[in-house]
Amino acid sequence: MIVTRSKSIEEILDQLDPIADLKICVVGCSLCAGKLKTGGEPEVKNMISQLQDNRMDVIDGVVLKHACSIESWESLIKEQPVISDAEVLLVMSCGIGVSLLGRICDKIVIPALDTVSLGAALNDEILLEMCSMCGQCTVGFFSGLCPKSGCPKSQLNGPCGGSNDGECEVRERKCIWTRIYEVMEAKNMLPVLNKILAPTEYNRGL
Amino acid sequence: MGLEEAIESGKFIVTAEICPPKGTDISVFLSEAALLQAIVDAVNVTDCPRAMVRMSPLVLSSKLIKMNIDTIMHLTCRDRNRIAIQSDLLAAHALGIRNILAMSGDFTTMGDHPYAKPVFDLDSVQMLQVINKMNRGFDLMDNPLEGATSLCAGAVVNPGARPLGFTRIKFQKKIAAGARFIQTQAVYDTDLFNEFMDEFKSVNIPVIAGIIPLRSAKSAGFMIENIPGVKIPQTTVNRMESASEPITEGLKIAAETIERIRENCQGVHIMPIGKHEHTKRLLEMCSLL
Repeated sequence: MIVTRSKSIEEILDQLDPIADLKICVVGCSLCAGKLKTGGEPEVKNMISQLQDNRMDVIDGVVLKHACSIESWESLIKEQPVISDAEVLLVMSCGIGVSLLGRICDKIVIPALDTVSLGAALNDEILLEMCSMCGQCTVGFFSGLCPKSGCPKSQLNGPCGGSNDGECEVRERKCIWTRIYEVMEAKNMLPVLNKILAPTEYNRGL
Repeated sequence: MGLEEAIESGKFIVTAEICPPKGTDISVFLSEAALLQAIVDAVNVTDCPRAMVRMSPLVLSSKLIKMNIDTIMHLTCRDRNRIAIQSDLLAAHALGIRNILAMSGDFTTMGDHPYAKPVFDLDSVQMLQVINKMNRGFDLMDNPLEGATSLCAGAVVNPGARPLGFTRIKFQKKIAAGARFIQTQAVYDTDLFNEFMDEFKSVNIPVIAGIIPLRSAKSAGFMIENIPGVKIPQTTVNRMESASEPITEGLKIAAETIERIRENCQGVHIMPIGKHEHTKRLLEMCSLL
C-alpha cells in the first residue's frame, strides 16, 4: 500500500493560483488513497466543496479504480467522460497516479496529496515504512523484516546508539532492530545476525 | 602524546571533545583547544552534533594539527554518501588528521534543519570497513588509490543501552570491521558500564569511557530528555538537586564515576556541557594529571 497524506488547502491553492480561472476536475483513487481516506469518494466531495468555498471553478469529481494502472487516456475518458471537459486535474492519489496522468493527458495535473511511505494494512492498522525500494533486498538476513526502511537511519548492521530500551529515538515505535532480534531469536536464527552486510547496491535494477 | 602512541603504549588514555562553532568565529574553539593541549592525548572535533549546522570538523581538526594537538575527527554517515565520505577521508589524511571516529550521526529531525534529507548511505560498520580499505590503498569499489591513507579508525558504543542483545553484536562487528579504539556515550550508571565491559574482557582494543560532568540538576534533566541512551541514576539527580555548589558536585560525581570504572576501561573522554574550564580540575581530582 502506498501511504499518502492530504496537503493543506493552502498548499493546494498555492499550486492552483497561477491557473485559478481554469476548470478543475477532482480525481480520486479508490485503491490505497480510498482505503486510507485521503482520496476516496468522501474526500473528493469534501475537496470539491473546499475549492468552491475558495471560488474555484470545479466542474465535477471522479474516483478512479486505480490511478496507477490505466489502460489508456481514451479508455479513461470513455469511463469518466466528465474529465475531458476539465482543464485541470487535481489528483487525490499517490504520486504514481499523479505522474501517470501527467504523462498521458493534455490537462494540467496538480497533486492534492503527499506520498510518504510504502506501508501495509494489518486489519485496521496502517504500518508505515515497510519497504524503501532500495533495489537490493536484504530482508532474507532478517527473516523478512526490513531494517533499511524500518530504521530511520537505514542501518544494515545493527541498531544505532539511539536505540533505547528497545525503542527508536526518532519515531514513536519499537526499534526495528529490537523486533529483528526477537524474531531471529524465536526462529533460532541469531547467528545470521553476526554477518557484516556490505553497502547497498543502489540503481542496479534500473 | 598522540592517540596512536597512547594506544601502543597501553597507558590510560585521556581525550576531550570540542564542538565547532555555529558561525565563522573560531576564537573560542581555539582557546578551548589551547586549554586542553597539555592535559589530553587527543582532542575530538564533533561533526554537527545533534544535527545542528556547525563548521566542518575537517577544517578545525586541521587547525589543531597545526597547533600540534592530535585530533580525533568525528565523521557521521548522516550528511554524506559513500563518495563524499571517501573524499573527506582522503582530505583528512592530506591535512595530517590521523584519527577518525566513525558514527551514524544523530537523526536530522533532532536538529535545527529537520527537513534536511538524511543520507545514511553507509552505516558506521561499513564506514569502518571503507577506512581500512583505504588504508590498504583501495577505495570501496577496489579501485587503486594514488597513495593510501593511514588512518586510525575508532567507533562508538553506548554501554548503557539495554537490552544488550544487538548492542553486543554490533560492537563485535565494529571490532571485526577494523575499529582500533572505542569511545562511549556518557557514563553515569557505573553498574551498567561495568556489566557491559565484563562481557568484553577479551576485547583487545582500548575502550575510552565518555564523561560529561553535570552542571546542575536541570542539565541532568536535559541530558535524560535529549541525549539518546544516556541513563542517569536518580541518586545522582538527587545529589545535583541538593548540592549547594552544583558545578563542584558535578565534578565530584564525574571523578567518582572515573574511579569506579577505571579498572574496567582504558581511558576517559571528557565532553563537558559548554566549555572546558573545569576539565583540568577534574583530571587532577582523579590523579590523571
